[in-house]
Amino acid sequence: MQGVFSQVAVMGSSGVLLCGLILLWRRGVAAYITAFTWQSVVLAALTAAVGYFGDDPQLYAVAALLLVIKAVAIPRLLRRVAQRFTVGREPAPYVNTGTSLVVSGLLVLLAHAAARPLEAIAEVPTRAGMPMAMGLLFISLFIIVSRKMAITQVIGFLMLENAIALLAVLATYGVPLIVELGVFLDALMGFLVMQIFLYDIHETFSTADVDVLKRLRH
Amino acid sequence: MEETLPLAGLLAPWAASAALAWALRGPGRLAAWLTAAAGATSLAAAAWLWAIALRGGAATAGPGALFRVDGLSALIAGCIAAVAGLAMLPWPGLEKGPADQGRSRVFRIFGSLFTLSMLVAVTINNVALMWVAIEATTIASAILIPLHRSRASVEASWKYILIGSVGIALAFAGTVLAYFDFVSRLGRREDALNWTLLMQVAPTLHPDVLRLAFVFLLVGYGTKAGLAPMHTWLPDAHSEAPAPLSAMMSGVLLAVAQYAIIRWKAVVDAAGGPAFTNRVLMALGLLSIAIGAFSLVRQQNYKRLLAYSSVEHSGLICLGLTFGPAGMFASLLHLLNHALAKSMSFLLAGRILARYHSSDVERVSGLVRTMPATGGLFGAGVLALMGLPPFGLFVSEFLLFRAGFTSGHPVAAAAALLLVGVGFVGLASHLARMLHGPVPDGIPAGEPHWWVLAPLAASVLALVALGLFLPGGVAGLIGRIAEAIAT
Repeated sequence: MQGVFSQVAVMGSSGVLLCGLILLWRRGVAAYITAFTWQSVVLAALTAAVGYFGDDPQLYAVAALLLVIKAVAIPRLLRRVAQRFTVGREPAPYVNTGTSLVVSGLLVLLAHAAARPLEAIAEVPTRAGMPMAMGLLFISLFIIVSRKMAITQVIGFLMLENAIALLAVLATYGVPLIVELGVFLDALMGFLVMQIFLYDIHETFSTADVDVLKRLRH
Repeated sequence: MEETLPLAGLLAPWAASAALAWALRGPGRLAAWLTAAAGATSLAAAAWLWAIALRGGAATAGPGALFRVDGLSALIAGCIAAVAGLAMLPWPGLEKGPADQGRSRVFRIFGSLFTLSMLVAVTINNVALMWVAIEATTIASAILIPLHRSRASVEASWKYILIGSVGIALAFAGTVLAYFDFVSRLGRREDALNWTLLMQVAPTLHPDVLRLAFVFLLVGYGTKAGLAPMHTWLPDAHSEAPAPLSAMMSGVLLAVAQYAIIRWKAVVDAAGGPAFTNRVLMALGLLSIAIGAFSLVRQQNYKRLLAYSSVEHSGLICLGLTFGPAGMFASLLHLLNHALAKSMSFLLAGRILARYHSSDVERVSGLVRTMPATGGLFGAGVLALMGLPPFGLFVSEFLLFRAGFTSGHPVAAAAALLLVGVGFVGLASHLARMLHGPVPDGIPAGEPHWWVLAPLAASVLALVALGLFLPGGVAGLIGRIAEAIAT
C-alpha cells in the first residue's frame, strides 16, 4: 500500500512538472492554456489520491475546488482574453528554446539539492515528489522573467501557485482547511484583477507585449 | 481574557466603511464623513490596544484566540490606523478632481478594504492567515493605482501586481516549509501555524529547514517591504498611485511587510540562533540603503524621490533588526517615525502636483512663495526624512547607528552611515531647488483653508515631539517589544 502511494505521488508530481515544461518548448498561448489546464487536472487528481491513501477526506474538497477554479474557471477566462486579443504565436522570448530547456534542466538539479534537507526529515511516503514541486517552482519563476507577453507571465504565475500547492500536498497533506480557503480566495481575486489589467494594457498600449512597458524603467 | 471590544473597534469600522461606500451612491459627502468617522473610531481602538499592551498584556479575541494583539501588533496597528485615518480624510483639492464622484467612491471602497486587510494582517495570530491578509493588500491597492488611467499608471500597476504576487507567493512557499517542519516533528494540528505556538515549539524544530523557509519568506515579504533587489516595482507604484494611496503604501504597507519579517525572524532565531537571519538581513538592508541613497541623487521626480527614500528607510529598519535588542528598539522607533513623515510628505506632494501639474523637480520652484504653508510643511517632512534634528528620525537613526557600533557591527554601521550621508545630499539639493527659485509662469499663489493643513501640521508636531522628548508611552511599548522578541 505504502509502495503504491509513493509511486502515485512520484508519477503525479512528474506529470505536474512535465505540464510546466511544455511552456518552454511550445510557442503559442493556446498551447500554454491547455498545458496549464492539464497541470491543474493532474494536481487535483493527485490531491484526491493523497486524500484517499493518506485518509484525509478534507483533501477531496480541496481537489474539487482545484478542479473547479484552476481547471475550469480560470482556463475559460484565459481563453476569452486570448481570443479577444487574437494573439497567436508569442514574440521570441528573451531566452531561446534550446537554452531555456538547458536552464530548466539545471533548475531541476538545483531543486533536488534544495529539497535534500526536506527529504531527509520527511517521513511521509510522498516525499520523493518534493524535488519535483521545487523544480516547478523554479521553472515557473524562470518563465515569468524570460517571457515578453503579459498573458504568458500570468500563466507562469498560475503555475507558480500550482507548484506551491503541490509542495503543500506532498509535504504535509495540505495546509489547514481555513488557510486553504483563504489561499483560494486570494488566488481567484488576484487572477481577476490581473485579468482586468490585461485588458487595460491592451487598451492603453494596443498590444499585450510587455516589451513596450519601458517608460518607467530607470 | 477576551478583549473583543477594542479589536472589533479596530477592524469593524473599516469593514463598515467599505460597505457603506459601496452602498451609498450619489453625492459622496456623507460617505466621505462616514469614512472619516471610521478612521477616528479605529484610531481610538488602536490607542486602547496600545494601552493594554503597555501594561504588558496581549488582547485576544475570536475562536481559539484567532486574533492576538501584543506590543508589536499594537504599535503597527496604531501606525496603520493613524496613517489611514489621515489619508482617507475628505481632502478638498488634494486630489485631482475630487468632484469625480465615481473615483472617490472606488477609492473609499478599496482604500477601506486595503486598510482592513493591513489591520487584519498585524492582529491575526495565525501566520498563514497573515499571509492571506497581506496578499489581499496587494490586490486591493493594485486596483487603486490606475485610478487616473494613463500609460504610466497602467504600467506601474501591472509591475506592482505581478512582482508583488510572485514575491508573496514565495513567502507562502516559505510558510508551507515551516508548517512541514512542524508537522514532521509534532504531527498535524489546526493551530500549528499560530505564531505563539510556533514560538513555543521552535527550539525543537529543525534549524536547516527553517533557514530554507526563511530565505523564501524574506524574499517574499522583502518584496513587499521594498528591499533591494526586489524593490523595482516600488518607485513606479508609489509615484503613479494617487497621493493618499502612496501615503498608505509608503507609510504603513512597508511596515506591515517588515512586521511579517520580524515575526518570522523571531521563530527562526528561537530554533537556531540569530546568526543566519542577521547575515541575510544585513546584506539586503545595506543593499537597499545603497540603492535608495544613490537613486536619491539621480532622480528628477519628487514623488519618485520620496519612493526611493522609502527603499532607503526600509533598508535601515531591516539593518537595525540585526543589531540586537537596542537595534530592534531603534528599528521599531524608526518605523513609527518613517510612517508619520513619509505619509505626510506624500499627501503634500499630491497638493504640489495638483498645483504645478508636474512631478518634475525642474519645473517646481518657488514653493515658499506660491504655497507657503504647504511648502513649509513639505520642507519639514523632507528634512525629517533626511534625519535632521529636531525630528524623530534623527533620534531613531542615532540610536540605530549607536546600536550597530556597540553590538559589534562597526563596519556595517559605518557603511550605512556613509550611504545615509549620500542620500542626505541628494534630498537636500532637490529640496532647495523646489522651495526657492523663481515661480514658473501661470502658477497661481494661495493656500486653502487652514483646517485642510491642520492634520498635516499635527503630524509635524508629533515628529518634533518624538525627536525632542521620546514620549513615555512610545518608549515603554517599544522597550517591551524589544525585550520580548529580540535575541
